[in-house]
Amino acid sequence: MRNDGAHVRPMIPWWAGGLGIGLVLTVAVGLVQPIGVSTQYVVLDGVFLHAVAPDLAARSPYLVDLAEGWSLATYEFAFVAGIPLGAFLSAWMTGRFSPRIIPREWKARFGRSPIKRLAASFLGGFLLLFGARLGGGCTSGHMISGVSQLALSSLLFSAAVFTGGILTAHLLYPDHPDHIEEA
Amino acid sequence: MLWVGLGLGAVFGALLQLSGASSHTKIVNALRLRDWTIIKLILMGIGVGMIGIHGLDVLGWAHMKVKDLYVLGILEAGLIFGVGFALTGYCPGTALAAVAEGKADALVTVSGGLVGALTFAFLVPELEEEALAIGWYGPITLPEVLGIRGIWLAIPVGCLVMWAAFRLPEFGRRP
Repeated sequence: MRNDGAHVRPMIPWWAGGLGIGLVLTVAVGLVQPIGVSTQYVVLDGVFLHAVAPDLAARSPYLVDLAEGWSLATYEFAFVAGIPLGAFLSAWMTGRFSPRIIPREWKARFGRSPIKRLAASFLGGFLLLFGARLGGGCTSGHMISGVSQLALSSLLFSAAVFTGGILTAHLLYPDHPDHIEEA
Repeated sequence: MLWVGLGLGAVFGALLQLSGASSHTKIVNALRLRDWTIIKLILMGIGVGMIGIHGLDVLGWAHMKVKDLYVLGILEAGLIFGVGFALTGYCPGTALAAVAEGKADALVTVSGGLVGALTFAFLVPELEEEALAIGWYGPITLPEVLGIRGIWLAIPVGCLVMWAAFRLPEFGRRP
């Protein structure tokens, strides 16, 4: 728990990270297409389902359409597979690979039950991807790529994400003075 | 092309990790309006990206992909996503980065995400009629609505967004 706190301070300043992300997006748009992540969750689902129950997979036109040819050997999937690879390398090289189950904020508010945290994580993950697929994108595809393209759908999506996120965060973590520990 | 994807993805993942975007603490405190680092990071990324891709567009080198606008569905989707964002402290991309840092709750978030995406995939026909059809405008952008060229909006808006990123305080109010 204490250990977690030491890893919160970013290794690079926000402007350097933002500059890098903007440049990655620019290179991606120049070479192939804007960046996106959430579609690949569907692709992975589709390829897996096609391997274990091909008839069932074929029954969803959405899966058939997105998991084209039931293949993971695509630029889009490689991009998403690169994210944990790059994150692992940078965490490992900066000595910030730090396994844990319960994040500090959560522990301070909801206690040390792993079941509670993991149940909320599963439900939250479900909502994240259900919402991303309903909206056609996530933080990468809508917020970063979409707003950069000045797309109206992405501006609306981003506004709704922050509305939902800020309201939920305030309900989950009401501001009691005894919860404040970080300067 | 696979290697290009893997390389770009790895740079993106490393940037998320190094900037603290894969940290539950950073995300949750951003949504609690206490720590603006991630908001500044996103604004900076958008500002640079906006000018970068519209610059490419002027040269005819941009491969744009604009998402459809369907007002009701997008609003619902964003709100649902936002609840998941606050509950998990991750988004679909940063959860993958957090898994690679050894965060078990992020791995469960990814599993929940795979189930959520699969559920959506089998609900599409029903959803399409309702949420996706209401307020449908297709793939439109702000410059199209205003009838001007993208770059002429991208430069001022991009600069404004970056200026806002620099102006915002790093840490917000503390009660």
